[in-house]
Amino acid sequence: MERFKGKNLLKTAGILAGATLVGTGFRELLFPETNNVVIYIFAVLLTARFTSGYLWGLISSIAAVLCYNYFFTAPYHTLAVNDPSYFVTFVIMVITAVMTSALTTKGKLLKEKAEENASVNRILYDLSSRLSDAADMENIMILASESVGALFQTEAGCICFTGETEPFSIWKCGDKIRKRKEENWEKIRQGFRNPEEECWKDKNAWYYAVRGHGRLLAVIELPADTEWHQIHKKEKLLFSVIENIALAMERIQIITERMRDREKMEQERYRANLLRSISHDIRTPLSGIMGTSEMLLSMTEETDRRYDMIQGIYHDADWLKELVENILSLTRLQDGKIHVNKEMEALEEVAACAVERIEKASPDREIQITLPEEFYLVPMDGKLIQQVITNLLTNAVKHTKKEEKIELLIGYENDRATVTVRDEGEGLADTDVPNVFQMFYTSKERAADVKRGIGLGLTICKTIVEAHGGGISGRNRTDRRGAEFTFWLPVGEENL
Amino acid sequence: MKEKILVIEDDVQISNFIMYTLENEGFSVKGVTKGREGLRHIEKEDIDLVLLDLGLPDIDGMEVLREIRKEWEMPVIIVSARDQDKEKADALDEGADDYLTKPFSTTELMARIRVALRHYNRMRRQKEPEQEETTYVNGGLFLDTEKHMVLKNGEEIHLSPLEYNLLLLFMKNQGKALTYGYILKNVWGEGYGQDTQVLRTVMASTRRKIEDNPGKPKYILTEIGVGYRMKEQEIK
Repeated sequence: MERFKGKNLLKTAGILAGATLVGTGFRELLFPETNNVVIYIFAVLLTARFTSGYLWGLISSIAAVLCYNYFFTAPYHTLAVNDPSYFVTFVIMVITAVMTSALTTKGKLLKEKAEENASVNRILYDLSSRLSDAADMENIMILASESVGALFQTEAGCICFTGETEPFSIWKCGDKIRKRKEENWEKIRQGFRNPEEECWKDKNAWYYAVRGHGRLLAVIELPADTEWHQIHKKEKLLFSVIENIALAMERIQIITERMRDREKMEQERYRANLLRSISHDIRTPLSGIMGTSEMLLSMTEETDRRYDMIQGIYHDADWLKELVENILSLTRLQDGKIHVNKEMEALEEVAACAVERIEKASPDREIQITLPEEFYLVPMDGKLIQQVITNLLTNAVKHTKKEEKIELLIGYENDRATVTVRDEGEGLADTDVPNVFQMFYTSKERAADVKRGIGLGLTICKTIVEAHGGGISGRNRTDRRGAEFTFWLPVGEENL
Repeated sequence: MKEKILVIEDDVQISNFIMYTLENEGFSVKGVTKGREGLRHIEKEDIDLVLLDLGLPDIDGMEVLREIRKEWEMPVIIVSARDQDKEKADALDEGADDYLTKPFSTTELMARIRVALRHYNRMRRQKEPEQEETTYVNGGLFLDTEKHMVLKNGEEIHLSPLEYNLLLLFMKNQGKALTYGYILKNVWGEGYGQDTQVLRTVMASTRRKIEDNPGKPKYILTEIGVGYRMKEQEIK
């Protein structure tokens, strides 16, 4: 800044000195002294043209009048005047000089402004057209560091926070692209915790936030030694550049997300198909194993040691079959489109079928069913809901002792049909309550002798019930020991 | 005389197990893996009952069933996979007598075969112009068509006309699976279509009258996706 001031002062002084010299020459040649007025005004014009801002033009105007007074009006070399009519000359001269300098400076500033706008537009246009060609995040980061660097005639960096890997920064200096690990990215991100925060600085660099929809996408870095006024002068342009970069980054992000989604769906479908075909193929031999072992069972005395072994085969096959059924239901439900074949069904019939199945599988257990007097048909996929009830009952059987009661209650209230399965068993561990519906979740609190599970049953229940527009919840009973699972389905034909 | 059963099943494991069980129970058994082969046997031999798998390698099991029903009246029991509800109901409507879902137990298999054979024999007997039965009993249920009366454990219960006709149909067809279509046709009449909602509603009210615990019916059981079956109570 000091340098600037000196330069302007020098220019102003030089031009005025020149004008004075020329004026002196004119006087020697005995030209009328009024010429000097014109020469000084010309000097003021030149000063305004070649110095920056209004100030020097103004100073020069006053100085020109004083010089004229000092050098060319009698008595010479004083600021006194003999002829009072000169005052009129001075006043007009001051006004003319000031106006000349003001107009010149204004014209000059306007021109500068127009040029700057043009260059801003060109930069932004360039940037946006290159950004729209960019195919990935790294490309955009390079463009960002390049354009911001060009803007401030310095190096600039860009750190991106949208990737899955640890953020890194890209610096472009000249033709070289430097990619480096950003050690303190966490700190940098912390600096932009406040969504209003646009810029901050530490001893390493200036940081500018690139945000899209309120989310921090990236941060632009400028060297710490960059002057504030230099940045400030172009801050508007910088923000426009950042805006453009944010848009481009969001675009890339959406594209990558969409691609990832599609990939995931493909994989999901592939996996479901595989699971389904495997399950189908497993089911057929299982029927054979179950049938044969049952037959062997009927041919063996209960006292025979082989009886227990055969029963083991039968139960394991039965368990596998149950698992396969569950997997089949799950693949059907997670097949991208949830295929629920709803029909008006009698909930009590579906429940009775589930109970029958369970009682057949565990002949020593009895499940109590309580029905309300009223009867409604409920829109549902009967087989799927049967699976839900079966799974809930299977769980209940698994977690109770023989003498502990298992109940199934059906009720209708407020356009909802509810089914509750409750038992008098050990109940749920507190840590399990929020997790029981998660896929592949199995309790860690259980004793080792409890029959194994793979944590699919309740997940399937939840998926099925929610696909019907209903809800499911599980908790411990408050009236006594035991667990209680309830699900509800919307009643009424409009839900078909 | 030993009754002769034909097993048409392409899964050798299941076929072996079925045949072994049946032989143990004193039936004469013949097993084939293809539909056409089965039809040839039926033509040649005097078969008393057919166990038919719906998924056969050469021709569709339904096709075999239709061929059988063109000429013969012997009971046909369908053996099918679990996810073929639609086909099960269709097979029953096409004249199959019953169905079994894989995997099934030997006791289930034997129970179904006995019911089917008994019905078949009774039907053959009734061919001679005899009087139709007027009273039906199943466990604690007693139905008298002449008096239009239903007793449950000796006490009279009052049924609406629809409920009465429904119960009568099941008492006549004890042990057999009846499809929704069949029940609707026989109780509500031809042309009632497939509106099963009214049937389920009447079934619910009937159960609340005849069952001790309608939540766990012991008389009329639900065959999901197919229809209902009246279970024969064991005679104490």
